[in-house]
Amino acid sequence: MAQADPAAQPVSERRTVSATATAPLAGHFAPSTLPYRDGHIGVVELGEGPTIGYLHGMLGNPGVHPVLEELAASGYRVVAPSLPGFTGSSEADGLRNLHDWVVAASEVIDIAGITGAPLVASSVGAMMALEVAAVRPEAFGPMVLCAPFGLWDDDDPVADPFGTTLSVQRAMLTEDTTASAAFFEDPADLPADMVVEHGVHRYLTRTAAAQLIWPLPEWGLAARIHRVTNPVTLVHGAKDRIIPSSYLARWSAALPNVVTTHLIDDAGHQADFDQPSQIAQIAAAAFASPKASA
Amino acid sequence: MKSIFFHLMPYPELPPDFPETHRSVWVDIDPALYDPEVGHRTYNAYLDQLEFAAQCGFDAVGINEHHSNGYGLMPSPNIIAAALSRSCGDTNIVVLGDSVALYNPPLRVAEEIAMLDAITGGRMIAGFPVGSPMDTIYAYGQNPATLRERYHEGVDLIRRAWTADEVFSFNGNYNKLRYVNVWPRPVQKPHPPIWIPGGGSVDTWDWCASEDLVYCYLSYFGYKAGLRTMQGFWKKVQDLGKETNPFQGGFAQFVAVADTEAEAWDLYREPAEYFFNTCLHVYAGFADPPGYKTPNTVRAGVEGMVERAAREATARREANVAEAAKAGSAKSSYGSKKLTFEAMVEKGYIILGNPTQVTEQVHELATTMNIGHLMVFSHFGNMGPELAKMNTEMYATKVMPEVSGLFEDEYEDRWWPKPTQQLSLSASAAQ
Repeated sequence: MAQADPAAQPVSERRTVSATATAPLAGHFAPSTLPYRDGHIGVVELGEGPTIGYLHGMLGNPGVHPVLEELAASGYRVVAPSLPGFTGSSEADGLRNLHDWVVAASEVIDIAGITGAPLVASSVGAMMALEVAAVRPEAFGPMVLCAPFGLWDDDDPVADPFGTTLSVQRAMLTEDTTASAAFFEDPADLPADMVVEHGVHRYLTRTAAAQLIWPLPEWGLAARIHRVTNPVTLVHGAKDRIIPSSYLARWSAALPNVVTTHLIDDAGHQADFDQPSQIAQIAAAAFASPKASA
Repeated sequence: MKSIFFHLMPYPELPPDFPETHRSVWVDIDPALYDPEVGHRTYNAYLDQLEFAAQCGFDAVGINEHHSNGYGLMPSPNIIAAALSRSCGDTNIVVLGDSVALYNPPLRVAEEIAMLDAITGGRMIAGFPVGSPMDTIYAYGQNPATLRERYHEGVDLIRRAWTADEVFSFNGNYNKLRYVNVWPRPVQKPHPPIWIPGGGSVDTWDWCASEDLVYCYLSYFGYKAGLRTMQGFWKKVQDLGKETNPFQGGFAQFVAVADTEAEAWDLYREPAEYFFNTCLHVYAGFADPPGYKTPNTVRAGVEGMVERAAREATARREANVAEAAKAGSAKSSYGSKKLTFEAMVEKGYIILGNPTQVTEQVHELATTMNIGHLMVFSHFGNMGPELAKMNTEMYATKVMPEVSGLFEDEYEDRWWPKPTQQLSLSASAAQ
């Protein structure tokens, strides 16, 4: 598959699918949608400058997403596609196993035009980035990965974020539960009938996340990880209630080209939601952004 | 109307403070609570009760499948069915059912039901549930996003395996089989009746209506609460222009019969409270994994049966926590508030009374819900053997005769084993 031009045409200009025509709430979650197989993927695009990609975590790309704004403010054009089934994209029909998902994620980054670009990825998105990179080393440039799933230690297991109530799951995802409000709460101005659809989209996003990491988030990545040779910056929330922070050292030992690691205070599993400024700063340093080096 | 004596096989000796001291009866119930001696005694007592129900004249005996569950000791319903197949005479056996997606390959279900159909001479009814979230997603690790597709593929495989005239290959998304050849074959042709237990999924209504399958709502919460669900199913049948044959519907109901209403109130209080407060003490976090429901069901706002049980258990727990906090106590973290026996009866969870009163309510249930197959829970909770025997016998002798004629003249039960297809050992010996 060909690498994308880093100065790819803006997603908004390539849009061929009407957001309002294909998914009533796509406009809420993602300003643009692009055709993908029999449906579409949602894409958020912010800022100007060199292109970087962002692959979301379990919370998907809800309508308000400060880390994207912070990355854009650092001097990048940030392109954030939603994986199939996640907010803004159509359902993950036909994706039944990890192989299906790796092929799908590989297609998605091509469609979004972020192939070969630096990448920030979180949680399930970070796991998928590693899986894609393991079979397609040119897929990404340097990567900043926040709390990836994909390793498992019987003596220090990853917690189950789905064998719990919705409110507890919310508390497991971010240290500050208000940080995930855009996903878990309905916008105040949403019409009543759309509240139902908002709930359905939320359910489908949770479904897609569950599909990727159920019942255990370990699919043999450790046996493939030696193929991920691009530079990786690892980030982990010190208060991650899903993946113990001890996994930072496990990832560091397993990946062949770790540049640096960061354990972030006051951040839970999705550190990109809890501490978006810090993530953007780490990314800017890792990617040597124009503003960071100025 | 057919009455099926249905047994859940609950573990009868959970501690009295179980709801206060444990999180859930299902999935992560404390293994230390299981006593093998109690298990040995209980399984045999329950088999006795099923056999007794057959002797009493119930149209069938029924069993189901649960895993890691303190109120259901039947991880393998087919093992129980095998035991009953040799001891229940001419009574039909309803396995309601085998959770198809949990068998790898599901061909195992086709084989075992065929074996049972052979042993019983064609008296099996095969139920195929998707399975509860607790059983399928948590206890058996199925992926919620693919569970239903896997389930439907499994049911397709079983139906083809039972009816194919030749060995065939099955190229499914989850099952790749070069040679499919069920041996033995079922006695019943084209295959044993198929019943689908549902918990409220609107897509299951559609499927049963269009495929001409029996839809069974196995509710804990009685006919008053189950009416909306059954109406949803019958509307789908009507929308397809089909006959709303009551024998295409099934429902489960707790019954408590005694000579007098006062006696019934006295006798059944403890086992009812044990079931609803201890056996249904389910952690809400196990009730609604994302992906288990279809988008249509989410959109329709339909709450599943176990989801409701868990929600109510959680509400009681939260009330207890608040109460304990108010009292400055750390106790009652899991709950001491109970659902009262009076509330269970008032809401219709349990049909209680003397034979006349129970008959009237069963008649009302059958006619308002249009139900031709009633799964009768005359054993529930920690009910002792003697009381279970009395309740079962009273229903069989004083209630069942009054309701058994319902619908029989007006509709054909096309979902019941046909005597003309059945085999008997005595007939074989005579030949």
